Amino acid sequence: MIIGPLLTLLLVLAVAPALPGLATRTRALLTGRRGAPVLQLYRDLARLFRKNVVYSRSTTAVFRIGPVVVIATVLAAAALLPLDGHAALLSFSGDLVAFTGLLGLGRFALVLAGLDTGSSFEGMGASREVTVSAFAEPALFLCLTVLVLATGELSLAGMLGERLAAVWPGAAPSLVLAAAALFMLALAETSRVPVDDPATHLELTMIHEVIVLDHSGPELGMILFGNAVKLALFGALVTGVLVPLGQLPRWLTPVVLLAGLGVVAVGVGIVESCMARLRMNRVPQFLVAASALAVFGVILLLR
Amino acid sequence: MSQLLLAVVLLLGAGAGAVLLSRWPRLADRAYVTLLLAGAAVGVAEAVLVLRSGAVSATLSGSLPGGPWVFGLDPLSAWFLLPILGVGAAAGTFGVGYLGFERGHRPVAATHGLFIVLLLGLVGVVSAQAVVPFLAAWEIMAISAYLLVMHEHEQAEVRRAGLVYITLTHLSTLALIGMFAALSVNATGRSFTELGLGNQTPGSARSVALGLALVGFGLKAGAVPLHFWLPGAHAAAPSHVSAVLSGVMLKVGIYGLFRLMSLVGAPPPWFGWALFGVGLVSGVLGVVWALAQHDLKRLLAYHSVENIGIILLGMGVGVLGVAHGQPAVALLGFTGALLHTLNHALFKSLLFLGAGAVYRATGRRIIDQLGGLGRCMPWTALAFGVGSIAIVGLPPLNGFVSEWTVFQGLLASGASGEPLRYAVVGAAGLGLIGALALACFTKLDGTLFLGHSRSAVPGARPARDPGAVMLAPMLTLSGLCLAIGMLPVAVLRPARLIVAGLAIGADGGALAATAWQADAMRVTVLGGGLLAMILLLLMARHWLAAGAVARVAPTWGCAGAVSTPRMQYTASSYAALLLAAFGPLAGTHISRTADTFHSSVVDPVQDGAVLPAWRLLCRTGDRLRGIQGGRLRWYLLLVIFTLVALLFYLTKAGRAS
Repeated sequence: MIIGPLLTLLLVLAVAPALPGLATRTRALLTGRRGAPVLQLYRDLARLFRKNVVYSRSTTAVFRIGPVVVIATVLAAAALLPLDGHAALLSFSGDLVAFTGLLGLGRFALVLAGLDTGSSFEGMGASREVTVSAFAEPALFLCLTVLVLATGELSLAGMLGERLAAVWPGAAPSLVLAAAALFMLALAETSRVPVDDPATHLELTMIHEVIVLDHSGPELGMILFGNAVKLALFGALVTGVLVPLGQLPRWLTPVVLLAGLGVVAVGVGIVESCMARLRMNRVPQFLVAASALAVFGVILLLR
Repeated sequence: MSQLLLAVVLLLGAGAGAVLLSRWPRLADRAYVTLLLAGAAVGVAEAVLVLRSGAVSATLSGSLPGGPWVFGLDPLSAWFLLPILGVGAAAGTFGVGYLGFERGHRPVAATHGLFIVLLLGLVGVVSAQAVVPFLAAWEIMAISAYLLVMHEHEQAEVRRAGLVYITLTHLSTLALIGMFAALSVNATGRSFTELGLGNQTPGSARSVALGLALVGFGLKAGAVPLHFWLPGAHAAAPSHVSAVLSGVMLKVGIYGLFRLMSLVGAPPPWFGWALFGVGLVSGVLGVVWALAQHDLKRLLAYHSVENIGIILLGMGVGVLGVAHGQPAVALLGFTGALLHTLNHALFKSLLFLGAGAVYRATGRRIIDQLGGLGRCMPWTALAFGVGSIAIVGLPPLNGFVSEWTVFQGLLASGASGEPLRYAVVGAAGLGLIGALALACFTKLDGTLFLGHSRSAVPGARPARDPGAVMLAPMLTLSGLCLAIGMLPVAVLRPARLIVAGLAIGADGGALAATAWQADAMRVTVLGGGLLAMILLLLMARHWLAAGAVARVAPTWGCAGAVSTPRMQYTASSYAALLLAAFGPLAGTHISRTADTFHSSVVDPVQDGAVLPAWRLLCRTGDRLRGIQGGRLRWYLLLVIFTLVALLFYLTKAGRAS
């Protein structure tokens, strides 16, 4: 029983670093450039894990623990998602709260690691990160509320499992709205355009990149990998809401899941190639729009 | 009950020891701490016994004015007794170290004695089982807290905070007297059992009682918009007293609401929606206002408003579940509220003690003047960090356990299909509260403990961790936060039993379900797995770096100048982006000219509504003062007018009857 979810989880972890590459490559191709190879992040990770680190003079143990907590929380959150639509490694009533709580703990650790350097740039990035997340969190809960209302289940494995397939026809409009909101949240949570631009080179305009300015070597690698897995998790959520994986035969679900992740990554790339980054004070509006979509989904189910 | 009596006697002994032996400070401190810990241990043991057996411990009654004075412990009282004595003992011990610095210029013994009186008042409130002793204990608690708030009474700000507090706490008492009057319309006596017998209170009187309870207990708990006495009072008191005021004393408001519901039975839906609405507003606004604060203790005090909001949210869902016949929802809501009451007591007192340690070490409370304390006060930083993660509600600490339960109640209400399903929007609100709390505590931890000091005088002795007498309570409370977070089943079981015992909704069907035990154990697995993974990764990281020497360099200045402590991001700038999104609700006033910038914080309720209303009242009064002209004929005219009006009224009333 535990083997299936574990294998799916390992599969997702293995392909996760390809997703940012896929998004970047899509963006490059659509804007008439060749772009970096899709598998670039694997090479970067291998290189970073071989390198030595440089620590800022002002940092403490918080700086060293931060990346580890980031990666541990993302992995623990992944264990709660029913990636193949059948079962999760660990599932209990209300585990969606644990899912968001774990991502929150990762953010807590990352932000404090940034503030540990005493740099004004990293303080600025940290401030932006928590501001964005403050608007993203209610939207995420509204999306999950749509799933709760549609299926009547309180655990992620339940609401994304077989029950979802049964209620899909009736709740389709709400679920599509929730999936759209989740996609917008994926852009915000993994620092992509239009909330943040991973390709920018000016520290004053960064959000995520500027928090990790002082991280290097394996610690930077852990953060990059954690972020890639986070994108994969949100991709899996979007896929899980749109495609009732629980209904498909077991051998097919990993294939559909990978296809879904690929589509989400390409979608991120398409968004990046046809949109500019929003001004910082517009970002809350973008996230409120995501909340509004989810609210419509909730209203459709509550009436 | 005899154990509780023993605990009270031991606590009295602690207070007496501190006061009578004050000429020999060391002996007095030792006697005070020993007797306080002994008394708390005996009381906690008795409370645990009551919780385990679920039985009512024998009551103690005496015949005094105002009907029988009945005291006794039932599971609900015992649950609230745990934080009173537990946190009270930790904070009292901390207080010995904290006030030790002031022994030279302040009567420290009196403060220790008053602290004991406050604890006894709290014990009295939760163990009183009749109206008159309840109100008597309530007043003892309120007045001793006032005297403790006035500890540093030479400061005008402290006196003002005390005045606001004592005025409002009496407003609360007044509302409670009215509430008990409404409850006893048809009652045969004034003990709680007689009040609750058969729920014979007529419907209209019941609504009045519930409304007055909302004012009286809501005021005590610090719910918006009756919260504005709280930040001033809690910031003015000595830190160990703030820990008890914020962590424990606010909770007697919650206790009162639970007790009232056990007396009047299932409340109507409007009461549930009122609690839900007040909870949501308190939660969101409390944390937004906290984010705007510059003063460490005021920030923590506003977070109490937020946490009371979360508790009321859970209670509101519970009441709605009862009113609409959804026992499972009711059970989750009430259980979540009870759990958060206990958890908030633990982590909020921990944070206030941490703030006290920082204040003692640096002499500062303004967040933007501090920084880099983690390096010289590692233990305080660790304890404060644990408290921060707990209060944000993140796994694997205790705050998560209670927020998880409240969330389940909110989501389950949505899935129920009854009219209470609209309560599901509370889940998004609670999510917002959590994310804002995360912003607030990363601001606090990052500014206080990380980076560099913002006000260090070159060559000055660095701040240091406090001594064992102050550290031990903090570390004990941290340990409890972790223990509850890792083993939620230990607190879920008694909390569920209490809710069942209240006999307001949760019937056997919902209680008999055992799935919650497996769920609680899975939370344990999740927390254990997370901690194990963090440890393993740290070890792997260590092993990976073996042999290589990490280079140490200045913080990367983005190809610019090397950053100085003054260039660090301040707490105010950190919060500014988020506060700007909330506009005037956030209560920040920014004044800027070409070369200056100043931001100050106001409380939108106190400074925006209460004070203007008060000034209007005073102005109207000034105008009416003209009547008192001192001329005899004018007074005679007034007397005649009054007589005529009375006669007119009496004839009217006489005709009507």
